[in-house]
Amino acid sequence: MAISQDAHTVKQFDLQLANLRNLVLEMGGLTEDQLKRAVTALDEEDMTAAREVIFRDRLVNGMQAKADDDCINIIALRQPLGSDLRMIMSLANTVTDLERIGDGAKKICRMAVQIYDGVSSPPSAKLLRDVTPIAALAAEMLHDCLDALARLDVEKALTIIHNDDELDQEFQSALRRLITYMMEDQRTIGHAINVVFIIKALERIGDHCKNIAEHIVYLVEGKNVQQRRNLDMSLAMSAQDKSET
Amino acid sequence: MSTTIIETKSALDTALRPAAEAGKQSSLEVTDYDNRQTVGAITVDHPKMVCRNVNVYYGAKQALRNVGIDIGANQVIAFIGPSGCGKSTFLRCLNRMNDTIVTCRVTGQLKLDDEDIYAPVIDVVQLRARIGMVFQKPNPFPKSIYENVAYGPRIHGMVNTKAELDELVRASLERAGLLKEVDKRMNDPGTSLSGGQQQRLCIARAIAVNPEVILMDEPCSALDPIATAKIEELIDELRENYTIVIVTHSMQQAARVSQRTAYFHLGDLIEVGETDQIFTNPKHKLTEDYITGRFG
Amino acid sequence: MNKPTPAAVPAAFNRDIKTIVNAGLQRRHAAERRFRSYGLIAISLGLLFVVLMFANIIAKGYPAFWQTYVQVPISFDPAVIDPQGIRDPAAIESADYAALVRAGMRRMFPAVEGRTELRALYALVSSDATYELQRRIHQNPALIGSSQEIWLLASATVDTLVKGNIDRTLDETERSVKDNQIGWVDKLQATGKIEKQFNTILFSGGDSREPEQAGIRGALMGSFYTLLITFLLSFPIGVATAVYLEEFAPKNRWTDLIEVNINNLAAVPSIVFGLLGLAVFINFFSLPRSAPLVGGLVLSLMTLPVIIIAGRAALTSVPPSIREAALGMGASKLQMVGHHVLPLAMPGMLTGSIIGMARALGESAPLLMIGMVAFIVDVPKGIMDPATVLPVQIYLWSDLPERAFVERTSAAIMVLLAFMVLMNGLAIILRKRFERRW
Repeated sequence: MAISQDAHTVKQFDLQLANLRNLVLEMGGLTEDQLKRAVTALDEEDMTAAREVIFRDRLVNGMQAKADDDCINIIALRQPLGSDLRMIMSLANTVTDLERIGDGAKKICRMAVQIYDGVSSPPSAKLLRDVTPIAALAAEMLHDCLDALARLDVEKALTIIHNDDELDQEFQSALRRLITYMMEDQRTIGHAINVVFIIKALERIGDHCKNIAEHIVYLVEGKNVQQRRNLDMSLAMSAQDKSET
Repeated sequence: MSTTIIETKSALDTALRPAAEAGKQSSLEVTDYDNRQTVGAITVDHPKMVCRNVNVYYGAKQALRNVGIDIGANQVIAFIGPSGCGKSTFLRCLNRMNDTIVTCRVTGQLKLDDEDIYAPVIDVVQLRARIGMVFQKPNPFPKSIYENVAYGPRIHGMVNTKAELDELVRASLERAGLLKEVDKRMNDPGTSLSGGQQQRLCIARAIAVNPEVILMDEPCSALDPIATAKIEELIDELRENYTIVIVTHSMQQAARVSQRTAYFHLGDLIEVGETDQIFTNPKHKLTEDYITGRFG
Repeated sequence: MNKPTPAAVPAAFNRDIKTIVNAGLQRRHAAERRFRSYGLIAISLGLLFVVLMFANIIAKGYPAFWQTYVQVPISFDPAVIDPQGIRDPAAIESADYAALVRAGMRRMFPAVEGRTELRALYALVSSDATYELQRRIHQNPALIGSSQEIWLLASATVDTLVKGNIDRTLDETERSVKDNQIGWVDKLQATGKIEKQFNTILFSGGDSREPEQAGIRGALMGSFYTLLITFLLSFPIGVATAVYLEEFAPKNRWTDLIEVNINNLAAVPSIVFGLLGLAVFINFFSLPRSAPLVGGLVLSLMTLPVIIIAGRAALTSVPPSIREAALGMGASKLQMVGHHVLPLAMPGMLTGSIIGMARALGESAPLLMIGMVAFIVDVPKGIMDPATVLPVQIYLWSDLPERAFVERTSAAIMVLLAFMVLMNGLAIILRKRFERRW
């Protein structure tokens, strides 16, 4: 399925690998769901939903533990090599990133609960204005990531890596805007900090998506993105040299 | 909430299916099984042996086709591949052990330090003194431990006095990491040692004539894991002074001891490369299939 | 990755294996028991025949190791031995010792008179008695003039009678020993003047027409010289041939032909080798007839294929890993064979050779052809002296009618068998001792 379509001589190995992939994809589905719900809860000021997201994070953690166990078992029992080895390592790393994304969703909900705790007055809409597009961007990245993982689509993964810059820029400008608000009205600082935490969490989710995309590239191509970039650069430079001479 | 997960999963499953069919993205440079051109760099910077266009025939049957590979000085190179792939045949070409088989015919170029080893002026006796060999089954001579190691220096007339010979035997056993274990019983028969010790005795016997290259034909296939680990450690130490070529069935062993790895398949040299690259990111589909256990 | 549809379960898989096996179990065990009992019966039969043969031979041959002696009072009368009284050795040698024996016999039975009676009396002792007295005087001339009781060799008839092999109930005319002789022997036995002693003549004497004087020393020495020649020729040549064929010769049509011929030679009837020896060694090379040299040459021809075949088998049994080890060290082919293969194959080669030699020791047919069947009294002193060998001696004796030769034949067979067992035992010991494990 991954790179070679042929089955292993040991059928059980195939089954284990497929199970691990399914588990990771399932975990991806769960984190995606968590992120969506977190953003919705924040949007709709639905604290029950937010608490449920916080509660459900332990499901994500449980799946991470299970996936890690499976990886260790496969390495210990099958001594995978070549693409199998890359698959296991990529999936293991992906699982860590997914768990962090789950943590991010949880953090957003924590912040939401703090913001709408009912003691202080709710923040003005302009403070939260930047959250929605950043959240949408992060959610799209995660979705694309999981899609690329399912299809082992390198092109898509590379697009995700490039798109991360977009999210970073959004985060930077949102941060600047928030600083402006805070300087204008010092009473907003309390809420603004919470909002900073939220967009920071979303930005981190984007970084994790980028990591996952890099794992996918490594899994398929056997070289990490850094190497690939260097290679591309040197190729471009040599092309330039040739054109100059 | 569980329904959502299931939905997501099924959505992903549908997404997954076309990927399985496509598989267009891959690290492999060669996905065509019929392409038998050697993939990877066959040359090295400081070659000890240079082989080009080597063909081996057993009677009418061709056992090796157009093998070209460099063997780097002070390196360990591992030959891997399924049974009958020609890796042992090629190993035996390197010190002309195939000469003993009447029907065997070797063509092409095999050079040791720029000397053609199949040239008429080269004597096999001299060649085999320069290229030692360790075999699959430990095969000490049914003589004492001392005599086993002293045999090579004796027949080649390397030493003049008994004291010199003693020194050489002890040094060889020391290098093979066996001296401590046999110091007190040099006159016991070599066959009284354990399997792993016997194999190290064979290595000591081979290095007693101070060869430049040591060929090892599955040296650990008859040994338990502890003895195997000792031999592997020894191979790593020997690399400092000798060039080592090892044929092995165990990919893990090849990965552990070698710097370069060559994969043979049905008489063709399919891929050569740095060992870590071969085992994490092979370039040929056949290599990939073999190391990941998809063979056949 | 579509899974193949599972094959239909064969009908046989649905039956209960336990009951099926149980049903046939009794039959299988019965067949096994039956087969074992066949084997046991065959071995017992074989053993029985061996025991019968040995019992027969030993029962017949055992008495031959004992010989009857008669004690006769001899007076070494100087008048008979040395009439001139000058102790001339030549005269003493040629004296009439038979007269002394006769006088001694008469002294024991003074009552006997008449020519026929006396002759019968004198016939109680062997003609060897005369030489016995001569030998004693020769050794110790001081005996002249003294009187002594001397144990003299009894004649074969007396020996047979004493050993109880003559039927006394037969009519006098039908047996070789007469009534009066029986009477004298009984009398001598009653007075203890007849005694059975260990038969040294059997081992020290050459062949003779008189059974009591016949020995196997000549045949033994003949066999020794013949086998010596055989071993010296066939072992080195056989080993060299085996080594060359197995290790050095190219495998082609010629070596195949040679191999087939060697195998065939091993199966050629031995008499043919005798004819060959007669034609080549005696008629063409004019070597002496009946000589151990020719016998050894002929037996070498016969033993060679056996040694070559055993040698090649021993060489092939040396594991190839040892050869590879030696070649891998840079040993030349000759060094490989000389240092490693041959020492390991040597016990096997020696065993094969000894068994071949044992076969040669028991061989008689080819030696008949080259004249080693002659009646030879003298013990051979070298490889060119006429000689006979043990099996031929047995053959010769078995032809003779005297009862005393029957037991000597069996005794010779026992000696021959003892040597065979000895050689085969030696082969086993050599193998056990020098065989090296690898």
